[in-house]
Amino acid sequence: MSVATTTLSQYRAQLRSNRLGLWLFFISELFLFGGLLISRFYLWGGTRPDLDQRLGLIVTSILLLSSFFMYLAEVGAEHENRRLFLFSLIMTALLGTAFLLGVVIFEWGGEIRPWDGAFGAILYGMTGMHALHVASGIVLILIVAYNGLRGRYTAERHWGVEACAIYWHYVDVVWIFFYPAIYLMGTVPT
Amino acid sequence: MKHLLAVVVLIVIVTLAVGFLLNPENLLPTLASEEGAFVDQLFSLYAFVIAFFFALIVVILLYSTIVFRRKKGDDKPGANVHGNSVLEIVWTVIPLGIVLFFAGLGAVYLKDTLKAEPDEMIVEVTASQWSWRFRYPEFGISSTELNLLNGRQVLFVFESTDVIHSFWVPEFRLKQDVVPGITTTLRLKPTLPGSYKVRCAELCGLNHAYMLAEVTVMEQAEFDAWVASEIDSGALGPPDRGAKLAGLNGCLACHSTDGTRSVGPSWRGLFGSEEILEDGSVVLVDEAYLLESILDPNLQVVEGYRPDLMPKVYGDTLSQEEIQDLIAYIRSLEN
Amino acid sequence: MTVLSLGIVRGLAGQLIGSALGIGVSVAVRVAMGLPLEVKEGAIVVGILVGAMGFMIGVGALTDWSKWMLGIETPLRLGPPEGKPSWTRYFGVDYSHKIIGIQYGVTSMVLLFLAGLLALTFRVELTTPGLQFLDNHTYNTIMSTHGIAMIAAMLVGVGAMANYLTPLMIGTSDMVFPRLNAFGFWINVPAALLIGTSMYVGGWDTGWTAYAPLSVNAPLGMQFVLLGVFLIGLSSILGSINVIVTVLHRRTPGMHFFRMPIFVWSVLATSIIAFSATQLIGLSFLMVSAERALGMTFFSPVLSPGAVAVGSPAGQVLLFQNLFWFYSHPAVYVFILPGLGIISELLPVFSRKPLFGYKWVALSSMAIALMGFFVWGHHMFTSGMLEGLRIPFMVTTMLIAVPTGVKFFSWIATLWGGKISLQTPMLFVLGAISIFLIGGLTGPPNGVSVSDLFLHDTYYIVGHFHAAMFGGFIFPFIAAIYYWFPKITGRMYDEGLGKLHFWLMTPGFWLQSLAMARVGLLGMRRRIADWDPGLGIETGQLMITIAGFAIGISMLIFLANLIISAVRGRVASPNPWQSRSPEFQIPSPIPEHSYAQPPVITGEPYDYAEPDSVYVSMSPASSAAD
Ligand code: HEA
Ligand code: HEA
Ligand code: HEC
Ligand code: CUA
Ligand SMILES: [Cu+2]
Repeated sequence: MSVATTTLSQYRAQLRSNRLGLWLFFISELFLFGGLLISRFYLWGGTRPDLDQRLGLIVTSILLLSSFFMYLAEVGAEHENRRLFLFSLIMTALLGTAFLLGVVIFEWGGEIRPWDGAFGAILYGMTGMHALHVASGIVLILIVAYNGLRGRYTAERHWGVEACAIYWHYVDVVWIFFYPAIYLMGTVPT
Repeated sequence: MKHLLAVVVLIVIVTLAVGFLLNPENLLPTLASEEGAFVDQLFSLYAFVIAFFFALIVVILLYSTIVFRRKKGDDKPGANVHGNSVLEIVWTVIPLGIVLFFAGLGAVYLKDTLKAEPDEMIVEVTASQWSWRFRYPEFGISSTELNLLNGRQVLFVFESTDVIHSFWVPEFRLKQDVVPGITTTLRLKPTLPGSYKVRCAELCGLNHAYMLAEVTVMEQAEFDAWVASEIDSGALGPPDRGAKLAGLNGCLACHSTDGTRSVGPSWRGLFGSEEILEDGSVVLVDEAYLLESILDPNLQVVEGYRPDLMPKVYGDTLSQEEIQDLIAYIRSLEN
Repeated sequence: MTVLSLGIVRGLAGQLIGSALGIGVSVAVRVAMGLPLEVKEGAIVVGILVGAMGFMIGVGALTDWSKWMLGIETPLRLGPPEGKPSWTRYFGVDYSHKIIGIQYGVTSMVLLFLAGLLALTFRVELTTPGLQFLDNHTYNTIMSTHGIAMIAAMLVGVGAMANYLTPLMIGTSDMVFPRLNAFGFWINVPAALLIGTSMYVGGWDTGWTAYAPLSVNAPLGMQFVLLGVFLIGLSSILGSINVIVTVLHRRTPGMHFFRMPIFVWSVLATSIIAFSATQLIGLSFLMVSAERALGMTFFSPVLSPGAVAVGSPAGQVLLFQNLFWFYSHPAVYVFILPGLGIISELLPVFSRKPLFGYKWVALSSMAIALMGFFVWGHHMFTSGMLEGLRIPFMVTTMLIAVPTGVKFFSWIATLWGGKISLQTPMLFVLGAISIFLIGGLTGPPNGVSVSDLFLHDTYYIVGHFHAAMFGGFIFPFIAAIYYWFPKITGRMYDEGLGKLHFWLMTPGFWLQSLAMARVGLLGMRRRIADWDPGLGIETGQLMITIAGFAIGISMLIFLANLIISAVRGRVASPNPWQSRSPEFQIPSPIPEHSYAQPPVITGEPYDYAEPDSVYVSMSPASSAAD
């Protein structure tokens, strides 16, 4: 039996399951990120390391902006507007890369090293785990862009785009919780 | 009806039989502390609850398989019973009541084990791989044996220098983990003179099995005599002071003094001998080498032993004099 | 056909190459940065992870996905591979849930035997006091490996039952994500290899719980175990997502929730725990791994000079235990819920009577699963955690006895008034009930914190959990294998050997767990290679060893039975047990597509006492011709 050409109704049934599966995966990851957040409160309590506040604000804004472009890309795919779709997708990837560079070069380039007590461990643990997700998100975007360029998505069939988009938004939302926990809450010990 | 009656009788018999079998007096070691009595009391209650539910399930299970066994050639189905809401509620509510009763009782007893008596004696316990040390601030003495007064409550204050250990004397019942980085406590009031053992109950690496310490519960006179003799030992010569330090700092957990191989090399006949190192070179064991081995054990590792095992903290935790005393002691073990 | 056409061989080669590559590149980077040439633990971590990737690439579990990324559509390859004998299916990537289920099952048995062999080894050592032929370090290593390999065996065994049975029981032909299913299975293989290797790379000495800071200082073998368990966790997460979506979306027409076979309920409950809580053991093991490889101090309470310079607080030892037990307590219900499901599934068949209180049994699985999330602190009563927390954890722990009790009472009520026949699967079900009862009833004394202060880390606990895991997993798993053996192979197992297996294993097991509990109460601590003859436990120790060997021999009989019967057993009829479950309405062995047409559910699953009522109606095309 060949399933190379699925009918639209088969595709929709599978789409429904794919969506549920993806959301279950997100709930699962929530426990991972939740565990990191809890570790942060357990170890740092009411303190936090002295980090560059401006940098934190900048990378956070960049990431939020990227989510906006991701949204545009999905709209583009739904309406088979290839230019909007591809342009926004590339913008998202660029902003995501800018975020990553901000974290890896500037944030990790500060005076705190991973082995500097609980500050180092949690700081690198949280940003590292998140950066890993952003990086894999960028890879997904590039794959989607490659396939988009070859016109493989239609208004009905663009699960790849959709999955990539929800994933990106999800990783963004995680950062919205991480950012205050790392940068804003607690006082810097003197 | 006949079946039900038979089952009820059997359940009662089995409950009583198992209940008596589970009597804590037969099951547990002798009891030697006041707080431990709560454990025994709980066990005597568990005995009958466990026995009852055990009897209930096992009797019905065995009875059914024997009595309701399908005969050869009988193809008729069993009784057409789908369930019974009243029964379901009964067997939800009764166990619920029982477990809540035990949880409540447990909470009350837990509070009781934490109660402090006004004249409690403080003993500071330090655990490290793989030895116990006890300090009595009240008398200013330290020891590798735990001596306690019969009838006087003790507040143990625990600290660990490396990994997690657990302080447990089975006869005292209660145990408490000794956790690096935090201070934990436990209160016990010995009630039965005799000798027991502290048994480390948390896996702490290589020699966890042998992390024991002698415990003696004594009467006042004997205890006073022991305290006095410990205080006198301040006037010892360097090798004897070293011998005591070797115990109090846990060296003897890894080094024997009779030539047997342990976690580390034996100290018997060590001084003046030639030691083969891991890199193949040979060194003469003199005072300088001993000093270096104590301060920085990884610098010269003896062949056949694991590096990183011996703690690297002694330069900080021991004074110059103490290290000299230790060296003097090791020297005194020369053949 | 060459050896390289077997997926597993390519996978192993891939793992070797990947590991070498990972270590090589890491060392090269070190040297390029001007550091001395040295293989640090970090490089080994990279090697392990790249090696696992290498396995997955080699075996072919990533092939379809990679093609998708390049926009190449790949039809789902079904049926035996072309141009190769059909047995090769079992040694490579295959997407049929029935093949994957068997792959899981065999892997589980292999782990079970190896871990059992380790247990028998250290039991010989423990029979008499003093050290006979093991030293402390070797003892710790094989004891710890026994523990973790058994845990792995159970997780993989749960995967076997869930994957093989779930689609069949809900009347569909496969899991909803077949490729994910294959990936989820194959990742266990490099993981199991890592756990096995750990014994030869320095060993490790922390017990399966890997408590920090001991695990931070442990020899290199620890790192292999940490990452191996991490990968098995990944498999658990992916597998259970697959199960949940399949159960929610692929039930056959007419099968609403309260008409599902009860086993499906228990698998659903298990999956809910596994897909969420597992992340936490992954995280905690990853943190230990990072602390070892990079010095990131999550758990060690010692402050480095760098930490002091930035004013950082130190790590905390108890954080590890909280993260670890948040998974590892619910995990014990992952092991047993499918087993309890098997018990509930088989009892009505062999009693010819409806399952008593179906809804209560179904919902009690859910209750156990959900309540299991709130009790983890009962492993930490002695740990020095916040004193006030001991009481709430005590209450929640005790409450779990209630839904578990509901299951027991429903089981005996199902037996009562039945027409019971005692074939081998039923014997193992009854054995399971009696043994799980011991495991269960020894639980509440641990749950009451005062008595746990006595019991913690003694052989009483060892007895408790062996009984719970034998009764809740091993016995039902064996029952399931006997019960579905005719469905899987089309042949019948040997009843005589089956009964012999039972009558050797059950008393053996009773003896083992009771003797364990007994020596524990007298003061025998866990995880020691040498014990004190002063405790008066000589007979107890001897009993445990004898019992262990009895169990071992019975397992060899089991193995022989399976192999001989699969080859030469009597040909079985499609429905030897007169079961009402959908999978018994189709031929044995089950055809490639299970159901030619989706069956339609028109009645209740367990109406064994009403011979005329119909549960599954098959469309004429697919019903078995018997
Ligand atoms: C399959 C696995 C399994 C199962 C099902 C259970 C079930 C239970 N376990 Fe167990 N447990 C383990 C596996 C399991 N456990 C393991 C592996 C460890 C050790 C980990 C380690 O440290 O290595 C452990 C350790 C462990 C501890 C920590 C001990 C310590 O280290 O100090 C505690 C403490 O509360 C505990 C409690 C319980 C309770 C209350 C249940 C309950 O779920 C039991 C409920 C069942 C019943 C009670 C029987 C049936 C009920 C009735 C017939 C109704 C009426 C009953 C009453 C009113 C009492 N377990
Ligand atoms: C499913 C889980 C499972 C199973 C089935 C077993 C099975 C057995 N276990 Fe295990 N055990 C654990 C899970 C399990 N265990 C865990 C999680 C721990 C905790 C580890 C820790 O503390 O970290 C533990 C710890 C543990 C201890 C405590 C060690 C200690 O604290 O120092 C002991 C001691 O007796 C023990 C014994 C046994 C024995 C004798 C068997 C026997 O039943 C084994 C029987 C053998 C087989 C099933 C293999 C089949 C047979 C063969 C391969 C051939 C046999 C050959 C001959 C007969 C010649 N186990
Ligand atoms: C946890 C185990 C452990 C403890 C505690 C320990 N040591 Fe050691 N020691 C070792 C090991 C293992 C070696 C051999 C490896 C090495 O040379 O580093 C060693 C080596 C030595 C040596 C060199 C011996 C030789 O044969 O050359 C000396 C001296 C020594 N230790 C003194 C001490 C003193 C003094 C103390 C206590 C204050 C102490 N040790 C505590 C494990 C320990
Ligand atoms: Cu200290 Cu075990
Ligand atoms: Cu638990």
